[in-house]
Amino acid sequence: MNRLTALTLTFLTTLTLVSCNQNTDSAEGDKPVIGVTMLSMQNEFIVNVSDEIDKKAQEAGVELITVDAERSALKQIEQVESFIAQGVDAIIMNPCEVEASSPAVAKAQAAGIPIINVNSETATKPSAFVGSDDVESARIAMKYIAERLGGKGNVIMIHGYMGQAAQIKREQGAREVLKNYPDLKLIASQTGEWDRAKAMSLMENWIQSYGGQINAVFAHNDEMGMGAVNALTAAGMKDKVVVVSVDAIPDALQAVQKGTLDATVYQNAQQQGSQAIETALKILNKQPYEVQVLIPFQLVTKKNVAQFVK
Amino acid sequence: MKQTLTTLYRQTGSSYRKRVQGMGTFGILLAFVVICLALALSTPRFMTVSNLTIIVTQVSINALLAFGVTFVIITGGIDLSLGSMVAVTGVVAALFAHPDTYPLIVPLMMALGAGFLMGGFNGLVITRSKVPPFIVTLGTMTIGRGLALILSKGRPVSNLSDTFNFIGGGQVFGVPFPIIILIVVFVLCSLLLRKTIWGRYMYAVGGNEQAARASGIPIAKIKMLVYILSGLLAALAGIVLTSRITTGQPNAGQGFELDAIAAAIIGGTSTSGGSGTMTGTLIGALLIGVISNGLDLLNVTSYYQQVVMGVIIIGAVVLDGLNRKK
Repeated sequence: MNRLTALTLTFLTTLTLVSCNQNTDSAEGDKPVIGVTMLSMQNEFIVNVSDEIDKKAQEAGVELITVDAERSALKQIEQVESFIAQGVDAIIMNPCEVEASSPAVAKAQAAGIPIINVNSETATKPSAFVGSDDVESARIAMKYIAERLGGKGNVIMIHGYMGQAAQIKREQGAREVLKNYPDLKLIASQTGEWDRAKAMSLMENWIQSYGGQINAVFAHNDEMGMGAVNALTAAGMKDKVVVVSVDAIPDALQAVQKGTLDATVYQNAQQQGSQAIETALKILNKQPYEVQVLIPFQLVTKKNVAQFVK
Repeated sequence: MKQTLTTLYRQTGSSYRKRVQGMGTFGILLAFVVICLALALSTPRFMTVSNLTIIVTQVSINALLAFGVTFVIITGGIDLSLGSMVAVTGVVAALFAHPDTYPLIVPLMMALGAGFLMGGFNGLVITRSKVPPFIVTLGTMTIGRGLALILSKGRPVSNLSDTFNFIGGGQVFGVPFPIIILIVVFVLCSLLLRKTIWGRYMYAVGGNEQAARASGIPIAKIKMLVYILSGLLAALAGIVLTSRITTGQPNAGQGFELDAIAAAIIGGTSTSGGSGTMTGTLIGALLIGVISNGLDLLNVTSYYQQVVMGVIIIGAVVLDGLNRKK
């Protein structure tokens, strides 16, 4: 490619980008524009929240600019900066990290644009937070394990990515409950990095080292819970071990229905998505709104799984 | 001095290669045995049939990828798109593997076809454009990840048939099926590399491309071949992984290329091309698997596991280098 072609291409690309921008700008007059930056569109739960935001926005006649931060807090800050430059009316952010995404909140507020955090938190307080308390999800899961085992037995915990807000909080919740049951022992814990294959290998190795001593497994998300179920089933041990995880993804719900996964904790993606738009609209219309909208978790077992399966 | 010796040995050709490869494989084999012994002494649960079976099953996916990338590295190339190819082919397989839809052959052929196309694309761009393989496969790595997300609409593809799930989870006479695949593929790859003219051409292309061209070796064809092989083996790994975790996941396989390249390099494949063996690569992959399994058995936290793994990778290569000098 010679220099001229390269130059022409660059020029054309810039032109297209600029004209795209103008499109959104011109629409601003008719309906409110909300910039949305999501943690990762490779994560099923986040995609569900985002879909719900889209649906609700369409109903409410709001124009959305949705972007994917691809798990990079830096990218997220840049996206919020570009929202500010485009003059959006409000921003909905699904933060990548507690600390590192905080500057984005500060920048939006400095520009006088309301910013709503959805699903997870930042250290800097936003205009409003819509989501669930991750500590609670782990408390619910671990309490269920304690009840199933009669408060006595050996538990294994599979962590998410170490240091992420969800991992820290789910560990905290689990340990709070464990403290109340002195006979419930945490015999091993390790990170499965939210990944099914990793958790499966971990579980296979633990079956080798602990075998019949394992009474229950708590996995920080369903993907890893399903990995543990796979490993236990292959070893012919699933009947003797209680497995509980968090998120209630379709695959996990199906497993609960089949009885391979004992329980999961339902985090309400629909509510998180729709409440985020509602809160944004309330702020824009200068109506009273709640600074913290907490959407409760629900334990899903074989008894009530039917109402969660679509 | 060292350089002149190397050139001299290069000229004498295959005898030098055999000696070096023999020693390289011996060095890594020694390291492997030492680590296994150390683990066996630290925990009685390591040297059991069931644990060793699990290690080989866990290793199979990385080993399949490592065999493919060994071909590529021998010709002096690199393939960074392995992990993304695993994701694309895994999702493709899953899309056609729902129960009561297609016979088993369909998801398998579709996935292998996808691997063939992606590997072929890599090979075509590399041989036609002369852009370094590092850059081309870096591009296809991103393209592949995007394709996997597009095909799966960003969600895991689940509800797969039992026949499909047998590939990763089933057993034949008590031997997990992935191990059988591993052994068959290992034998085929070794034969291709050592007993065929194609294998000899691969070493020649990686050892000295100009000399190979002068002696009339079809360089472009050989390069196409290795990238297609890499794509096909990645597809096989994608099939095994998808079947093992019973879902096709668009974000699966991230970083797999690095583990595969590590296995090949630990196994004595030279990054500058022209040398390497499938046996070495297999031992390299087993070594990585044994360390990860052993550290899990000893309940070493993952923070330390990463440090230990890095130290052992460097240690193995240093040991290998010392062996070569002797």
